[in-house]
Amino acid sequence: MATKPITGEQRAFMTGNEVVAWAALAAGADIMYGYPITPQNEIMHYWTRMAPKYERAFLQTEDEISAGFTTVGGVLAGKRAFTATAGPGNVLMQEAMAMAEMMRLPTVVVVTQRGGPSTATVIYSQQELNLTCFGGNGEGLRIVYSPASHDELFTYVIKAFNSAWKYRFPTFVLGDGYQSKMREPVTLFDPEERGINMEVCRPMVGLPGLPGEERDPAHLRNTYNLEDELYQVLTDSIREYEAMASEVAEWDAWSADEAEVLVIAHGVVSRAARAAVEALRQGGVQAGYFRSITLRPFPVDALRPLASRARHLLVVESAYGQLQRLVQASLYGLETPVSGYLRPGMGITPEEVARAVHSLI
Amino acid sequence: MALNLKIALAGEGGQGVQSVAEILTEAAYHAGYQPLYIPNFGVEQRGGVSVAFVQISEAPVSAPKFTTGDIVVALSHRAVERARQYVGPETLLVFDASLADDVRRVYGEGQKSLAVPALAIAKEGLHPRVFNVIILGVLVGVTGFLERRDVEQALERQFGHKFAQDPSLKELNYRALERGYLLGSERLEVGNRI
Repeated sequence: MATKPITGEQRAFMTGNEVVAWAALAAGADIMYGYPITPQNEIMHYWTRMAPKYERAFLQTEDEISAGFTTVGGVLAGKRAFTATAGPGNVLMQEAMAMAEMMRLPTVVVVTQRGGPSTATVIYSQQELNLTCFGGNGEGLRIVYSPASHDELFTYVIKAFNSAWKYRFPTFVLGDGYQSKMREPVTLFDPEERGINMEVCRPMVGLPGLPGEERDPAHLRNTYNLEDELYQVLTDSIREYEAMASEVAEWDAWSADEAEVLVIAHGVVSRAARAAVEALRQGGVQAGYFRSITLRPFPVDALRPLASRARHLLVVESAYGQLQRLVQASLYGLETPVSGYLRPGMGITPEEVARAVHSLI
Repeated sequence: MALNLKIALAGEGGQGVQSVAEILTEAAYHAGYQPLYIPNFGVEQRGGVSVAFVQISEAPVSAPKFTTGDIVVALSHRAVERARQYVGPETLLVFDASLADDVRRVYGEGQKSLAVPALAIAKEGLHPRVFNVIILGVLVGVTGFLERRDVEQALERQFGHKFAQDPSLKELNYRALERGYLLGSERLEVGNRI
């Protein structure tokens, strides 16, 4: 029996990709499937370097379609399985993730957003929000976490496995190239020592006993003959998704009540938003900060009252309105005006956010 | 006021600016600071201007990139122009002395700056490969928040396996660090200001 990868708490200075690999190890992930793409590569590199020491596995596939479907296969076999990708790779993975959505399979995908559309840049963006939340020919019955720091990357990769296996919806950790490549201090820990119990992973295929006689048949389907049949299955899934939404939705807010300008962001951009709001407050400007940690389900109930009491809303993102559309859909009917500081594929600094706030007042 | 230092380094791919950023932040981390380092990377492995963004603070750093640096380092003809966007009126521009004409053309006469003859020192007294370690030494000297020991330990962590194979390499790196440090520490006003 291999020893635990982390005992106690370990402080380290490393890249986000390294953090993801450590988090998957700490979470007890059994296997990673993957196909290389920048800026995700080092997740695979670190995983393949460390996994054999802890009796974990890795399979490099021929492309991302295959990496997605092997991850689906892994979870069907009861393995805590994951993959990681970015950009065009995330596009290819949508077919498998739609299957996971249909069959309620607890896949975990770490996305390190790069510039888009197409090959674009290998660097950074927040342009994979739509794709990660709503990709595939379905209803977006997924859980999507958007971490903002290495500490959160570590925590939410562990949490992603648990949410996936608890609620049985495909779960994503939506990082980005900046978080992948930057180095900052992080505290690694063993989940169990923090009181986090990992959900048990059980196989869904190859169960013992004769189906129909000694046990119920597994009956895993992604194909239906009748529209009524599909409608019933989807209605049940949607109901379960909506029932868990308030349990799963996470957000963060700071001096957000009765704000002159409420700045809304997610992921690494929320760090710039928060810093700008703190500086503006020091300068006497009534700015507030709201960050959605889950993009699916979106924390509507938390945002609506704050938005209704704000004078202006400013959505800040490294995409052209992908978060802004989520915000506007959530706030339909409110009269608070919504503006965007939208920089597709570009990093955003606190100074820029502060200037954008000033331009509204 | 608490330390909150922003440094942008720009040079040709292969000149070693990313190593300088890595060693500097590694040393700062082990000395108890909260550094953040992010490379600006493209698809090319070599060539093109390579930029490193470094922030060192006592509290966690906010955004990974910044608008204006406290110190901006430019190590090549093209880097002098590329770095322009990160230079404000208060920024100390550190550049290789061979680029003085470029700096004058792009920044005029008024820019607060420090010309370091790192290329010349590396070629004549040391070895071209430790050019970037001289620059590292300059930054340690100019900022004044690290002990040289912190940096030597970070060098050791980075290049220990190479030092073990060839002990003269260690001595060469330490000498380059020392030379840079002496050049930088004459201009400690940046460290005093923050």
